Amino acid sequence: MKKSAPVPEHQSGTGETVESSLYEARKTIYMRSVTGLFANWRWALVWFTQILFYGLCWLPWNGRQAVLFDLVERKFYIFGLIFWPQDIIYLAILLIISAYALFLFTAIGGRLFCGYACPQTVYTEIFMWIERKIEGDRSARMKLDQQTMNGRKFSLKFAKHAAWFLFALWTGFTFVGYFTPIKTLTAEIFNASLGPWEIFWLLFYGFATYGNAGYMREQVCKYMCPYARFQSVMFDSDTLIVTYDEERGEPRGVRSKKQDHKAAGKGDCVDCNICVQVCPTGIDIRQGLQYECIGCSACIDGCDKVMDKMGYPRGLIRYSTERAIQEKWGRKEILAHLIRPRIVIYGLLLLFIVSATAYGISTRTPLRVDVIRDRNSMSREDENGMIENSFRLKITNASETDHAYLVSASGMERIEIQHRPSISVEVPAMKTETVTVEVYVPPESGTKGANRIYFDVKAVNDENIAVHEKAGFMMPLDK
Amino acid sequence: MRRIIWILWPSFVVAGVAEVVFFTLIDPQELYLFGEPVHLSRTATYSIGFFAFWAVCAASSLFTVFIQRSPVFTQR
Repeated sequence: MKKSAPVPEHQSGTGETVESSLYEARKTIYMRSVTGLFANWRWALVWFTQILFYGLCWLPWNGRQAVLFDLVERKFYIFGLIFWPQDIIYLAILLIISAYALFLFTAIGGRLFCGYACPQTVYTEIFMWIERKIEGDRSARMKLDQQTMNGRKFSLKFAKHAAWFLFALWTGFTFVGYFTPIKTLTAEIFNASLGPWEIFWLLFYGFATYGNAGYMREQVCKYMCPYARFQSVMFDSDTLIVTYDEERGEPRGVRSKKQDHKAAGKGDCVDCNICVQVCPTGIDIRQGLQYECIGCSACIDGCDKVMDKMGYPRGLIRYSTERAIQEKWGRKEILAHLIRPRIVIYGLLLLFIVSATAYGISTRTPLRVDVIRDRNSMSREDENGMIENSFRLKITNASETDHAYLVSASGMERIEIQHRPSISVEVPAMKTETVTVEVYVPPESGTKGANRIYFDVKAVNDENIAVHEKAGFMMPLDK
Repeated sequence: MRRIIWILWPSFVVAGVAEVVFFTLIDPQELYLFGEPVHLSRTATYSIGFFAFWAVCAASSLFTVFIQRSPVFTQR
């Protein structure tokens, strides 16, 4: 990270060659810890998301893991719901919902996701907490890094990396636990019988956590995250963003608490640089909205503390909108401008997609029937003069209980299946059975060529589990 | 370092998407390699598949980075 990438010859208009680097070398950011309203919110979300992530994989449901993405069996379990590869449409819908939710929240409150819920923020917050507990706050860490290696420095650095490593390992273990049942995984670790790919992915994810949260940090947001690059498209002049009130703050300057700064021609900004020191991406919010700002509000918390100390009103740096700053709006006007066409459209679309999906999932039939015609013969006449077609039915029981199904055919006069009105097929839970069925009709029914018929598959003990699947019945052409 | 990120990171994201789409539609057990059914476990096929996707995408990113270094883009 230290090395800057020199760009090859860069020629200016006069023809002289100038060697220039597009990037300055990364300066380590020593983020000062901050407390306050928004920091509390962030910690609340860190706890919430992480209890969810580390805990959910241990939750049992119906004698299995409640949330398990079983890649080997190609089934995804989410509590009572089971998704098969055929349900990929729901994955696509989930992505659409996420995208709209992101649009909506960004239009309302800027980079709320980045500042509070993004895994990069969450893990960085946790890793920095570990770092702070072991090495101390900003100035202590800066002092430590300037020292030459000594016993104390070594032991502190060692303790930090060991703690990071263990935490990352646990994260990797949890991650793999969503794909291999976590209880099996735990048993495998104790028996030292972990599969090679499980070890690999555990280390891979653990390493990614360690690298991203320990080293990369704000660089992921600045250089790798695509969201940072197109966020401005979703912003408008009524979007709530972290803003420095320039009119109130400038001209900034150091002063004594007793001084009447307004009489001295100074603004409210005491130029203490706390807002810069607490910033995880190392920017100065006083220069206006920048793409590096992840909207974490650490500078708001930091500045409010200083304002309290100075006895000035809070909110020199605050959540506000571009228009509110221009027009000097208060909270009331800002809230009044929250509802605008863009928000309403995003909101309604989101509501529609979510409810349609919820309806679709709740009314899903846990039964799937695929009808495949026997390709070898079009139709056959049996000894009694009946016309026979042969089909293969693939019946998938997508529920977690065994079922017996009644299979019948309809759509043509006096249609029979295996010479009976219906047949019974038993399919165990989560399994697929393939049955070959012969369907008969008298020669006088239907027309020459293809006739539309239907297979009805119904669960014996549950009328709601039923599928009506169409098929084509071939009558002889020389009838 | 930044150039390595440019090559490895977008290809990682795209490989992830390609992996999900490919293996949702195709069961690894139905794959044939040199005319022989694949004997590897599903987990192994998924993993190797992911790295194959990543490698292919990284090759594309590498090419992009290479092209961008040409004088056309640096002489302005």
